[in-house]
Amino acid sequence: MAAVPEPGEPGKGKPFKLLGILDVENIPCARDSILYGSLGSVVAGLGHFLLTSRIRRSCDVGVGGFILVTLGCWFHCRYNYAKQRIQQRIAREGIKNKVLYESTHLDPERKPTNGNHSN
Amino acid sequence: MAHPLQLGLQDASSPIMEELLYFHDHALMIVFLISSLVLYTISLMLTTKLMHTSTMNAQMVETMWTILPAAILTSIALPSLRILYMTDEINNPLLTIKTMGHQWYWSYEYTDYMDLNFDSYMIPTLDLKPGELRLLEVDNRTVLPMETPIRMLISSEDVLHSWAVPSLGLKTDAIPGRLNQTTLSATRPGLFYGQCSEICGSNHSFMPIVLELIPLKHFETWSALTS
Repeated sequence: MAAVPEPGEPGKGKPFKLLGILDVENIPCARDSILYGSLGSVVAGLGHFLLTSRIRRSCDVGVGGFILVTLGCWFHCRYNYAKQRIQQRIAREGIKNKVLYESTHLDPERKPTNGNHSN
Repeated sequence: MAHPLQLGLQDASSPIMEELLYFHDHALMIVFLISSLVLYTISLMLTTKLMHTSTMNAQMVETMWTILPAAILTSIALPSLRILYMTDEINNPLLTIKTMGHQWYWSYEYTDYMDLNFDSYMIPTLDLKPGELRLLEVDNRTVLPMETPIRMLISSEDVLHSWAVPSLGLKTDAIPGRLNQTTLSATRPGLFYGQCSEICGSNHSFMPIVLELIPLKHFETWSALTS
């Protein structure tokens, strides 16, 4: 057990954490949310500046855009991820049931027969 | 088990712990965004020459900083409550095991299908074999079947202890005179380590818990051999 390197061990390189807390490499959807948020922040901030030439207010709009876009992408991605996990669980159970119950009366693919069995 | 200098949660080996990991990711993302906003606000405060000394009211900002935190707390509380109620579900456990905390070891009783009880002491550092884990190994591991709901009844013979296995998302206090119940279900075989989590005296750090989860077939063989 001690020979196998665990994920995140110093030997493999420390995981990169934004602000020292958010591990964007290993948390599902984190990297995409932060990247889309950054893009949204740049677009919103730059767009506001080009329209109004107000630097400070454009920075505020940029930060606000970052938070909103990151949150929006985060909730959307996590919702889809949760749906996918449920589908994977159903598929795994289905495969297990198929293997276990193949050719028995509990086989999920077996068509029900209505005729009487002869002796 | 944790690897050296680990700060985060251990990998999940039970459905509840998986849910807790996802909730932790969600809460951490919200904390990260709030921290970014606060850092930005601080940097704004530091880089202004203006000083507004006659503010009388600020209705808009006061409304925002009342409603937004309420919304954030709601978005954290709802998944949290969902997991809280999930941990209280009892899914027809197939096996019941009693564990008693002592100063300073755990004892386990398998009384469902056999009459087995044993003590589980930590292996002292000087007696460890090469490759074994310091302060975590025990002389008698608790052998359990995997992918099976198991009821754990936890109590104590003397002072407060706490029976905890982080990778399964379990922590239940062992209180003398009281029987606490928790349900565990591991998704994969292996060794799962935990330590006493309630201060109980000088050797509080030296009474670990080791669960050995094995397939049901092997568990039946083991129980036949030991009973």
